Amino acid sequence: MSLEVARRPREARATLVVLPLLVLHLILISIQIEDPGGTTLFRKGVLIAVTPFLNGSAAVVRGAAHLWRNYLWLVGARAENELLNETVRRLKLRDQSLRQMQDENERLRRLLSFREQSGLRTIGARVVGRVPNFLSNVMYIDRGLADGVAVDMPVLSGEGVVGRTVVVSPHQSQVQLITNSDASLGVMLAVSHSPGVLSGTGGIELRLDYINNTEKVAAGDVVVTSGLDSVFPKGIPVGQVVKSQKGKTVFRDIQVRPFAGMLRSEEVLVVLGGTMSPGEGGPQGP
Amino acid sequence: MKYLFLAISSILMIAAQMVAGSNFFLFNFLDFSLLLIAYWALYRNRIQALFVGSLTGVLLDAVIGWPLGYNGFGKTLAAYVIGQTAKHFNVEEGWIRFVLLAGSSCVSSFSIFLLFALLQRGASPVFLGASLAQALITGLVGVLLFAAHDSYQHAHSGKAS
Repeated sequence: MSLEVARRPREARATLVVLPLLVLHLILISIQIEDPGGTTLFRKGVLIAVTPFLNGSAAVVRGAAHLWRNYLWLVGARAENELLNETVRRLKLRDQSLRQMQDENERLRRLLSFREQSGLRTIGARVVGRVPNFLSNVMYIDRGLADGVAVDMPVLSGEGVVGRTVVVSPHQSQVQLITNSDASLGVMLAVSHSPGVLSGTGGIELRLDYINNTEKVAAGDVVVTSGLDSVFPKGIPVGQVVKSQKGKTVFRDIQVRPFAGMLRSEEVLVVLGGTMSPGEGGPQGP
Repeated sequence: MKYLFLAISSILMIAAQMVAGSNFFLFNFLDFSLLLIAYWALYRNRIQALFVGSLTGVLLDAVIGWPLGYNGFGKTLAAYVIGQTAKHFNVEEGWIRFVLLAGSSCVSSFSIFLLFALLQRGASPVFLGASLAQALITGLVGVLLFAAHDSYQHAHSGKAS
């Protein structure tokens, strides 16, 4: 019994020794045996044994790379994203600025063209303020007494009549828009030359009075200044008839929409009076 | 030192096998290395017997020109079988020794045959027939040699006592 107990560790060791020895011999054989393809069985066996580990490690590397690309790298990507967003915002602002400059350029071009066509002595002015109201009916320009601007001078845009100066300070003037309910000007229909009085309503559209019911006035007819009010020179476009119907009295009820965008005008011309001399034709920007 | 002795004895046994086999045809059917392995497993140390099996097997492969490892595998397996059998059975009996030696020889040969088949080398059935003959002869010679050894040991121990 005691002999058996004493032998047990040695028996266990024998089993432990025989297995590596047998494997060693198998490896030894496989190193030397070649398959028809010329590859040794050892290489093939190693490949077969190693492939799962390679696949596993490749999967781990792929996973790590995936983790890196999709999570950890995003830390940098987030910063880059913020940078790009900032760039996009800056570019949008720049684009907006360029567009505004383009619009301004276009408006100034129209204004200059209008000035040259009218032949009037004018000075350019920039709109520096409006009464903060959707239906604002006065605005402020950056020209005043020092620039030769006086009260009751016509203010025009590239499209047509905007209003007239009502209060003038040395370097600024308040302009009463033709949409103001207190404003009125002498006009005529461009085709028939029928005179009338155009009055502001406080709204977007104007009211044309004193046109006989017998007159043929249709929507789309152009209204221009008549020059009879002693403020606005004759022949300046004012607006377009949008509604015309027989009135209850002898005069028609006519609504006119002004050409000049009262809320959009940013540069205007102030008519100083008289006509331009040959030397005054150059640009005189706001 | 012990393992050097193991190595030298293994080399000598293989040399004896080759010399005897080349001069006397019948000695080709006597597995000298298996006798050495059995001696080591039965009378000395089973683990050392494993190393003897491995070494003699590899040497045999080298001598006969086989890829190294076939006989190493077979002889190691035979050493293990002999060692484990000696652990469970009384191997004092002559017929048991014969069965053990012949059986382990067959295990060795059959494992080699199996490896041949598995590792894409042609194996002739003649090999199995020759192996069977070798197992029987080795078993018989082994029983006689070990019996002589035992007698000598008894006589020697009797003289000593």
